[in-house]
Amino acid sequence: MNCSELRDHYQLYALGLAEEPERSEIRDHLDRGCEVCMREVKQARELTAMVASTAAPLVPSPRLRKRILAAAGAESYSFGWAAGLAGVAALSLCAALYFAGRERQYFAESATLRAQTRSQDIELTRLNEAFAILNGVDTTVTTFGEKQPKPKGRVFCNPSMGVLLIASNLPMAPAGKAYEMWVIPKGGKAPVSAGMFQARSDGTAMHTEMISMDMSNTAAVAVTLEDAAGANAPTTTPVIVAALQ
Amino acid sequence: MWLLPLFLAVSGAEGDAELVLRLQRRDPRALAELYDRYGRVAYALILRVVRDVGTAEDLVQETFLRVWTRAQAFDAERGSIGPWLLAVARNRAIDYLRSAGGRERNSVEFEESEHPSLFINMEQGILASDRARRVKAAVEKLSASHRQVIELAYFEGLTQTEMAERMGQPLGTVKTWVRAALKNLRDQISTAEASA
Repeated sequence: MNCSELRDHYQLYALGLAEEPERSEIRDHLDRGCEVCMREVKQARELTAMVASTAAPLVPSPRLRKRILAAAGAESYSFGWAAGLAGVAALSLCAALYFAGRERQYFAESATLRAQTRSQDIELTRLNEAFAILNGVDTTVTTFGEKQPKPKGRVFCNPSMGVLLIASNLPMAPAGKAYEMWVIPKGGKAPVSAGMFQARSDGTAMHTEMISMDMSNTAAVAVTLEDAAGANAPTTTPVIVAALQ
Repeated sequence: MWLLPLFLAVSGAEGDAELVLRLQRRDPRALAELYDRYGRVAYALILRVVRDVGTAEDLVQETFLRVWTRAQAFDAERGSIGPWLLAVARNRAIDYLRSAGGRERNSVEFEESEHPSLFINMEQGILASDRARRVKAAVEKLSASHRQVIELAYFEGLTQTEMAERMGQPLGTVKTWVRAALKNLRDQISTAEASA
């Protein structure tokens, strides 16, 4: 691969998210001393380093500084209170053994709650996006699947906010597969991917893609079944086609 | 206000080259100075990853000792020690998280991503720069899903497949979010820099 083909992957590489073969290609370019790749990866690493600044600022205990300097042989601990400290340490050990089990339990519970909160945040964002499109003054509605057993539903398009698809009677995708929505331009131009989604077990689905749309040049919104990793172009016959007026 | 500790922590970043030379000469006061500049940033980063004070302090110690013992490999004139130290800190924290969670560890990749030669010719004092503030502002402006994928990648070291499992979303959706989030970050930073 040449450097221009790797252009979209430098930031993923710096963040540890690049996949094969691009990851190995970038590594090879760097090993060869490729100036373009070295410059791009350096810039990507700068951005990645600055993400650290989004962590909430916190101050460590003052004893940590002493510990580090002592461990490096740069400063000695004072052991004048060693005997007293040993007694306190013994008591602390007993307490630690008791509380360790409880702490693990609390930690696991808090991790579960954090995961639930994150999921709810995402769901709330999706609903807010959907309501924004539904309430848009220039939103148009297109119905699909009226004369067929499945699937049925509506597509809401807003030029500045994007597309909202609401469907029913849509079977769940098989394992390793997912539905991908496409915006199909007029004039036979290539369909544009508008994100991936899954149908629920009751056959309903709601998917929102926040994109700007040129309504006068859009022929239809369609949905195909693709590999879960997504496709660059539709590879199967659409299960939904909503022809825009 | 959020950047004040960061500014305090990295104030005097222009003296990094001299500080690295002293670290290479094994000057104990240089290690103390290094800690005073970057200790709080490294601690905040590690604690954000492992979420446990005791573990975070152990990993901060490990980070500074690693930098102390490897300073000889660092280019004092052209290297930027702050981003290097934070890369070491992040790798230590994520390695701990992966180990504790029974996930696969990749020490080879860590060795590669924190090699001192990768931190040559970076902007001096980058962590206290206006760009750092713009990155912070840009991350805060991302949608919930976009911010989450960036945070899961940076603070938990998850792959895109692991993110998809964690978030219960198709892999393709997560990939779309990651690319869109990175593009939004770049666009917002470019716009802010153009208007500055």
